[in-house]
Amino acid sequence: MAFLIRTIDLTADGREIIRDREVAQEALTIGRAAENDIHLGDLAVEQSHARIEQTAGGKLRIEATGTLGFLLDGRVTKSGQIVPHEGAELGFGSYRLVISQNGDEAPTITISQTERAAQSSDDLAGFSLARTLPSKRATAWLALAAILALFLAVPIYSHLTRSAVSEGTSTRDGAVMMDASWSTGALSQAHHSLEDNCEACHAEPFKSVQDTTCLTCHQDIADHADKPRQLTGRGPLSKGDALQWAVAKQFGKEGPGSCTTCHTEHEGAGRMEPTAQQFCSDCHGTMDTRLTDTSLGNAADFGTSHPQLQAVLFTAPGQTKPERISLAGKPKEYSGLKFPHEMHMSRSGGVARMAGNLGTKAGYGSSLVCADCHTPTADEAGFLPVDMEEDCESCHSLVYDKVGTTFRTLRHGDVEQMRADLAALDRVPRSPAGSGILRGRQRPGQYSRGGLYYQNFGRPTRSLVSINRALSPNGVCGECHVPTTTNGKPDVMPVNLRNHFLSNGWFNHEAHTQEKCTTCHKADTSKSSSDVLLPPLATCRTCHMGEDDKTADVPSGCAMCHSYHPKGAAKNGTIARASPGGDKHPGLPNKDKQGINAVLAMLGRKSD
Amino acid sequence: MASLPNEQNQRERRQSSDHESFLSHKKMRWLKIALVLCLITVVSYFWVDVTPRHNGGSWYGYTLGTIGALLIVWLSMLGIRKRNFSAGRWSLKAWTSAHVYLGLALIVIGTLHTGFQLGWNVHTLAYALMMLVILSGIYGVAVYATLPASLSNNSREMTRGEMVEALAAIDRQLQAAAQPLGRDESDLVIEALAQSTFNWGIGARLSGHYRKCATNRALAYFADDWSRPAGSDEPKDKVRALLGRRKSQLDQIRRHLRIRALLEVWLYLHIPATIALLAALTAHVVSVFYYW
Repeated sequence: MAFLIRTIDLTADGREIIRDREVAQEALTIGRAAENDIHLGDLAVEQSHARIEQTAGGKLRIEATGTLGFLLDGRVTKSGQIVPHEGAELGFGSYRLVISQNGDEAPTITISQTERAAQSSDDLAGFSLARTLPSKRATAWLALAAILALFLAVPIYSHLTRSAVSEGTSTRDGAVMMDASWSTGALSQAHHSLEDNCEACHAEPFKSVQDTTCLTCHQDIADHADKPRQLTGRGPLSKGDALQWAVAKQFGKEGPGSCTTCHTEHEGAGRMEPTAQQFCSDCHGTMDTRLTDTSLGNAADFGTSHPQLQAVLFTAPGQTKPERISLAGKPKEYSGLKFPHEMHMSRSGGVARMAGNLGTKAGYGSSLVCADCHTPTADEAGFLPVDMEEDCESCHSLVYDKVGTTFRTLRHGDVEQMRADLAALDRVPRSPAGSGILRGRQRPGQYSRGGLYYQNFGRPTRSLVSINRALSPNGVCGECHVPTTTNGKPDVMPVNLRNHFLSNGWFNHEAHTQEKCTTCHKADTSKSSSDVLLPPLATCRTCHMGEDDKTADVPSGCAMCHSYHPKGAAKNGTIARASPGGDKHPGLPNKDKQGINAVLAMLGRKSD
Repeated sequence: MASLPNEQNQRERRQSSDHESFLSHKKMRWLKIALVLCLITVVSYFWVDVTPRHNGGSWYGYTLGTIGALLIVWLSMLGIRKRNFSAGRWSLKAWTSAHVYLGLALIVIGTLHTGFQLGWNVHTLAYALMMLVILSGIYGVAVYATLPASLSNNSREMTRGEMVEALAAIDRQLQAAAQPLGRDESDLVIEALAQSTFNWGIGARLSGHYRKCATNRALAYFADDWSRPAGSDEPKDKVRALLGRRKSQLDQIRRHLRIRALLEVWLYLHIPATIALLAALTAHVVSVFYYW
């Protein structure tokens, strides 16, 4: 066996000199020492570095003989096996030995010296992701610049340089750009038109929303009470609250009692969140200890701590002013009317028959129901006053005479007129057949408006007597009214029916249409008109409990029935005209001439 | 003098026993601190009654926001801190441990600061960037804990330089072995040799799937011919064997690249997103007070 050793040297001018020599040996030694078969003059090579020997099957085995390894196909190793037909590359120091074999020829070892270039750092840099991805620093700077420009520089610049606005410019002129990105949430329904108009409320940079800004539109909002009284009622702030407000003051907040303390915005579209119960209960929960002269009971929670409801009613004959009475127990009122609800609502008896006879054409069922006499207001929140002509007279007819085919009716509500009408009755003679009215009761089927209704007005010739009978307890007036005597003449007590009973809260029937009337108003069992049919607190509490009562059908905060701001001249939902000299928004259009939209459009715009 | 080596030994022993991961630094001191912080935050969130509901604009929201903002600024200073080595209480390891655990606590603090009121605005942008930074950080900790082992398994005691050198050695032999081949076949070899090892996209690096690999293509061409026995010294067979070796060397490099990419890729998100977060945080805070 033999090896062909081919040495490639380079001359100074780069020309290759190739020398071949054949070595007829089974094994070769490699090293720096001169006695090696392959002598490599590089200090990095050991004196005796490695040994190559042929093994069975034409393979070559290479073993390091010293302590250092060698490169086999670029990999450091101390021993290895090579198939010379496939070829391999060995590296010793700066020398490269390429092993190859063609056919049956001896394996060839080609020796060349390379400039052992230090590992190029470029090669290794390829392993890093930096080769593939844009540099972190560049990305970071780019993102930084984009965010600061878009979300800070643009809004601030356009806020500071927005154009002056005069009357008649469109709402988009002079609006701040990109400040929608600053909005922390949608505005409530009522403020929706201000959605793109941040500077309307945020009038000045770095200054919290001021009450005066709110009052530009909500000018007629009245104070809850006098400031000193409010402060007394509130009592000293707790340590935590005091600290909170001390910090808030440092940041320019206006202090407790300002609009934004209770009314938070940007809580999402829809109705503005009602103010939480706690804002009220902080003061009203224990207010009697601080405001000793208050007539208000303590209230902290509708379910557990709320005074009994009180209704404004007349309670005695001859009262000129109503009084507030508690609905606890069995309160009595005095309206001056006789009206037993039970009798009118009974499913049987005269009233029910009367209704049946009047029939569906006239809008009645088999007996009277509440709606036959009580008409809701247009907003269905409450009821119109009961009207004698509309609601009672269908049955309680005041017809007293018939002339030809025409009936004569007494005018309700005017005793003098009645006196005159009845006094004049007997001056005109009439045939007994035509004056059926005065002949006594007839079949009930004819009872209806314009029909027949018997009243005992007395005999025609005794008109004065009949007037007295009309006003007697069993007469046509006395049937419903309480007779009395005024200046020596028979008269009826004035009627004091009230339409609103609550003075400090409100009640909306529309929200309760799912309930039957009799669930709350025990009218069907009330035998006397002196019964106050308003439900007491306990009835409300079957559904309504305090705001935090999660088991209640309707958890109810104070704001459900009460308003913090006294109901004054301005009604809810309308925005009053702002004062011409509003400090925060000088240069607003003439609010007397322009609508609220123009006002809103101009709010927060820079003035000329 | 005699005691000196002894002391040195002791110190070395102590230091080597100190060699614990930043995750378990000082018996997980920072994990405990972060957990306590989270607990306090969560309990107070439910305990403090903010009306009408929690949001960043209540006193409680501002408090959480201030804590969160300070944390973010401090956490981002790891980038500066890591460039200065020091030992002791504020060693880089302690700092990193705190960075990881306080960063995780920021998820709770930041989220409760929002009161779960999110929208398309600069405030939520800041929150989203914060979460992006934290989640990429979690990924980073996870891969740092698991992948280095497979990195060293894969390298089989080869350095990166050796891998490149090995590939170059195979390429030189391939160059020589392909000399007798015809035009079409040598074009295939040239293509394989000319194709860059590293100039591949992030997708190829992360997945390890190199669909346009010229070595694969050449190998497929040469491997089709099974008519000659293995070990024959036909030029084609030599080229095929060398291509096979090239392929396996490439595979090793590519596995290395893949693991490296998995180890590094989160930083390309974590760091730019942190800087972006600092910008968004600035915009968030300034805008809140600008429209105060």
